[in-house]
Amino acid sequence: MLSVKSISKSYGKKKILDNMTFSVQHGEILGLVGENGAGKSTLLKILATLLKPDAGQIELDQLSYQKQRAKVRKKIGFVPQDIVVWENLTVEENMLFFAKLSWKKKSVDELRQLCLDMNLEKWKEPVKTLSGGMKRKLNLAISLIHDPTLLLLDEPTVGIDLKSRKEIGAYLKKLAADQGAMIIYISHDMDEITSLCDRILCIGNDPFYKNILKKTNKEIATFH
Amino acid sequence: MKHILLTRLLHWKKQWPSLLFWLLFPVIAAFLFAAAANEMQSEITVPVGVVVEDDTPSAHELYEKIAQAPFLRVHKTTKADALHLLEKHELDSVFIILEGYEKKIRSGSRNGLLTSYESNRSFAYTPVKEMILSFVQEETGRAKAAYTVQQLSKQSAGKEIWTMEEITESSKRIQSEESLLETDFSYAPVENQAEKNSQPLVNVWEWWAIFTVLSTLLLSDWVIKEKKARMHIRLAFSRYSFKNYLLRNAFLYTALFFIFDLIAIGLFTLFLKEHVVVPAVMSMLSFRLMIQCGGFLAAQMFTHLYRFYSASFAIASIFAIISGAILPVHPFSSRHRWLEWLHPIHSVEAWLFAAILLMWIWYVRKEKSIA
Repeated sequence: MLSVKSISKSYGKKKILDNMTFSVQHGEILGLVGENGAGKSTLLKILATLLKPDAGQIELDQLSYQKQRAKVRKKIGFVPQDIVVWENLTVEENMLFFAKLSWKKKSVDELRQLCLDMNLEKWKEPVKTLSGGMKRKLNLAISLIHDPTLLLLDEPTVGIDLKSRKEIGAYLKKLAADQGAMIIYISHDMDEITSLCDRILCIGNDPFYKNILKKTNKEIATFH
Repeated sequence: MKHILLTRLLHWKKQWPSLLFWLLFPVIAAFLFAAAANEMQSEITVPVGVVVEDDTPSAHELYEKIAQAPFLRVHKTTKADALHLLEKHELDSVFIILEGYEKKIRSGSRNGLLTSYESNRSFAYTPVKEMILSFVQEETGRAKAAYTVQQLSKQSAGKEIWTMEEITESSKRIQSEESLLETDFSYAPVENQAEKNSQPLVNVWEWWAIFTVLSTLLLSDWVIKEKKARMHIRLAFSRYSFKNYLLRNAFLYTALFFIFDLIAIGLFTLFLKEHVVVPAVMSMLSFRLMIQCGGFLAAQMFTHLYRFYSASFAIASIFAIISGAILPVHPFSSRHRWLEWLHPIHSVEAWLFAAILLMWIWYVRKEKSIA
């Protein structure tokens, strides 16, 4: 379980996150919504151990973020908003590249299966020749090489076609259901968020998102 | 390290043409420069015709001196042939050592010793004439000294009268032993005069070092590419920290470059007859470490590749200028010793120390972006 207790974060005098508390269970997909600058990406970076909160405590499966950061990182998969892959290498070479740097050993067959599960079939193609959707899938696949318990995704489907979106969404649901992964997902697409996520966290003061989400039967928490 | 090597090989496999080019570039460029310089050196010798009409030891001695002068290609021939070649512009100028040369020298006469010819295309006539006149001046001065010594000896009613040959020989011996006409002063041990005269126009290692600085800087662009690819985000969730990953890759590049440095030693030894000893290999390793650290740290300061490439060319050009490879800066640098310290090729130890210190500071410095 991911347990977040009373975390706060400021940039200078500007308070981004204030006394935020929530938890995520295994097998659960949590959506993060809010206007630009509300603090979604900051929260995700804190949960990814890339930023330290000013106050509060976070635990992942009883591992403290403050005291056991190295162990925590082994359990985290982070999918950045930017596509962080090597454009000049093929899909296979990208997977091999990051697998060599990973904590977990994976065979070529396992890596290929991971891509196939996401309908990423162009194994031998250079990444620069792939569509945006395919690149996004590869971006996600690389983050899953070490079988993370907590998967953090920052707008992973931005700018891609509907088919690829649906495929990524279906894969994430399967990942949560079959492997009990905890998934935290940022998106501005309300349809995607409501169809994919079990619960939704609404960050910021703008009532726009909350009003839209009220029409759904999802559990909504709001943080200002 | 094995994993880092495998990941780097994935990149090198894609980049091998450009990688190989820049690895071989210093050797190839230094070879081309050495060849071009040798060609230039042979082309800038001035063809001069010398006719020896006076069949005496002094006249032949003058001819030998002219023939041994650097940058002169001397043709000993007849007057008719020499003038014919001059007309055809195959000779820059012609000098005739006239009949009675030795006799006139001994009598202290300075007129009618030589006759010279030039054409409308003689570009080196004046300096060659001045040089030959200086040789003659030397001889006439010596003869005059001998004559004076003899006269003084007679006046002092000395018991022993030396012959002119004895005085002249003695004068030459003293000149040779004392090196009266040419003395070099130096604060450091330097090669002897013979070695100095036989030095090629271009120091191939100096040029190799400058081209190596350039190729090393340009190939350090991988650091910028890794940063641009935002690899630090991925590496936060891998077995290596970003700094550790960069450092290990830097080590791989250093090893690869050093292999090509050894190849350069082999090629220069084989084709340019350069002698390399073990201490020189160690110096080369120090130099390699220093420029690898320098290239790595320089790349850390850039985010745009083209700006980095421009800076690399600028840095290599500055080193080339300071080293005197392009313009002779020795008179200036000998007065301003700090210029020597500025130059990484001439002050490897100091620069290596600074580079390692900066690398250590870079490594231990706390990274802000990844908490």
